Amino acid sequence: MMFHKRLNNLMISWKSSGGFKQTALEIVSRGSRNPMVALGTSIIIVMVALALLAPFLPIADPTLSVIDVEERLLPPSGRHWFGTDNVGQDVFSRVIWGTRVSLTVASLAILFSLIIGVTLGLTAGYFGGVADYIIAGTIDLFWTFPAFLLALAFAAALGPSLMNVILAISVSYWAGFGRLMRGQALAVRERQFIEASRALGAKSWRIMFTHVLPNCIAPLTVWASVGVADAITIESSLSFLGAGTPPSTPSWGNMLNLGMQYIGEAWWVVTFPGVILLITVLGFNLLGDGLRDVLDPRMKGMRR
Amino acid sequence: MADLISYIVRKLLLAIPVVLLATFIVFLMLHLTQGDPALALVPPRHTIADVEEVREKYGLNDPLYTQYGLFLWRLLHGDMGTSVSTFTSVSGLVFQKLPRTLELMAIGLTISYSIGIPLGILSALRQNSVADRGVMVFTLVAYAMPSFWLGILLMLLFAVKLHWLPLGGAVGGFASIILPTVTLGLGNSALTTRMMRSSMLEVMRMDYITQLRSRGLPEREVIFKHGLKNAILPVITVIGLDIGWFVGGAVVVETIFSWPGIGRLVYESILKDDFPVVQGCILILAMFVVAGNLIADILYAIADPRVRLG
Repeated sequence: MMFHKRLNNLMISWKSSGGFKQTALEIVSRGSRNPMVALGTSIIIVMVALALLAPFLPIADPTLSVIDVEERLLPPSGRHWFGTDNVGQDVFSRVIWGTRVSLTVASLAILFSLIIGVTLGLTAGYFGGVADYIIAGTIDLFWTFPAFLLALAFAAALGPSLMNVILAISVSYWAGFGRLMRGQALAVRERQFIEASRALGAKSWRIMFTHVLPNCIAPLTVWASVGVADAITIESSLSFLGAGTPPSTPSWGNMLNLGMQYIGEAWWVVTFPGVILLITVLGFNLLGDGLRDVLDPRMKGMRR
Repeated sequence: MADLISYIVRKLLLAIPVVLLATFIVFLMLHLTQGDPALALVPPRHTIADVEEVREKYGLNDPLYTQYGLFLWRLLHGDMGTSVSTFTSVSGLVFQKLPRTLELMAIGLTISYSIGIPLGILSALRQNSVADRGVMVFTLVAYAMPSFWLGILLMLLFAVKLHWLPLGGAVGGFASIILPTVTLGLGNSALTTRMMRSSMLEVMRMDYITQLRSRGLPEREVIFKHGLKNAILPVITVIGLDIGWFVGGAVVVETIFSWPGIGRLVYESILKDDFPVVQGCILILAMFVVAGNLIADILYAIADPRVRLG
């Protein structure tokens, strides 16, 4: 019951304060006029569709590891569009199934980073004082380090598993969101409508969620999009190094690692997973860059 | 000058917590491993006595803060533990590989700047032209391209198909350093190009440029003597970020091209479960990043005196 009441409150305030819904509509309407956003979104839709439909497509199931010596390292043909790998598995189907792994890992990792970053950044920026001092310091420390190195340290220690990769990326990527959120909260806090709602007796958490957070949706969307692209790259790099997705699960990174051993005889094994990887990363980068351009030209060049 | 020195000292002091965080994360890695941490520090073939000895040496029965203190104390004495596969000291191993990685980074950085700076200038001076569009497409693709795949493609083309360059290793002299450094440089040049372009665009719109033009200075002189001087500063000062990027890139690129540096050492040690070496390498790479950030801060203060007072 309590939950419903809170949800209701949020729904009302959406209308009253021009909150989440209006911001989201604004993003969509402005974004749809930008060609980069359109191209990026189309790529992402195709990739997500492939990932979701993988089990229903008429392709071999790569999770059933059948070793077929006859079918080993066959070049691309009508039957195997992307050729076959060293154990005779269809590269095309493995690439499609790899989409599932990459997109799942990347979006979950960014979701966790977003939750950690938004919570900490909002708390620090809105309340200030000692909390801000400690949190901002921590954010800066994590921000200084390249995400890939941190993720490698965590992934190497935790051992290869999907959950560990997600954890490793989240722990090393949240600082960007925290930094962004803190800056926005600091800026919004001083605006008059915040003071007005405080004067009306609104509680801190309520102000944060109904006024401060919606104001940060635009930059957060941009960062989340670019973040997914980064997370896909980190996941594939970790898997390539043997510290990410376990070898039994088809992922672009470990396919490329395996393909490296046969680079002299089978160019297709190292080429196609990379092409799809590049297109996917490009899709999220295009979406992020395009959104940034239409939402706030001043944010150009802010990304590291 | 005095303000510059006090600025540098301040930055050095501020780097201490970052260094401590790095050591703490590397220390924590041991406790994130599954099962008994002592088992991560002994060779695959060990006796119970070995495990006990390690436990005693690293104080693994003590509380965490005591262990961390001990870890720092050993670090201060240059002791990063012993490799469990080669039985040599980790610091010896790491410092033996260090020059190779530095070499790769230095050449890679040079390549990145020699591609990125001219492209960025060209793109800014011909804004919205076909050349500009082309450069922007290049940066989009180069930025999205994971460095390990770029490395694989270059290897496929120049080593496997054309046989112009060696597949990997460092025995081929100059020829063997080309592919790894180009891989690193090309990947990073996307960022340099973008920064150079936006910085140049900004500077060329400034009043002093218009004023120089109206005084009738040749365009070439306006651009290269007066515009570039200011526009290039932000590009050079992000060298710290570049080093951060190169640290990650070095690990994968060295792995692909079997380059005998720290990155390759990390990869091999992960495969061999040589935990102390993984720890040592990551710590050294993290120090690279700290040093890179310091260099960037100092360069920035030299270039722009206003920063020193902030």
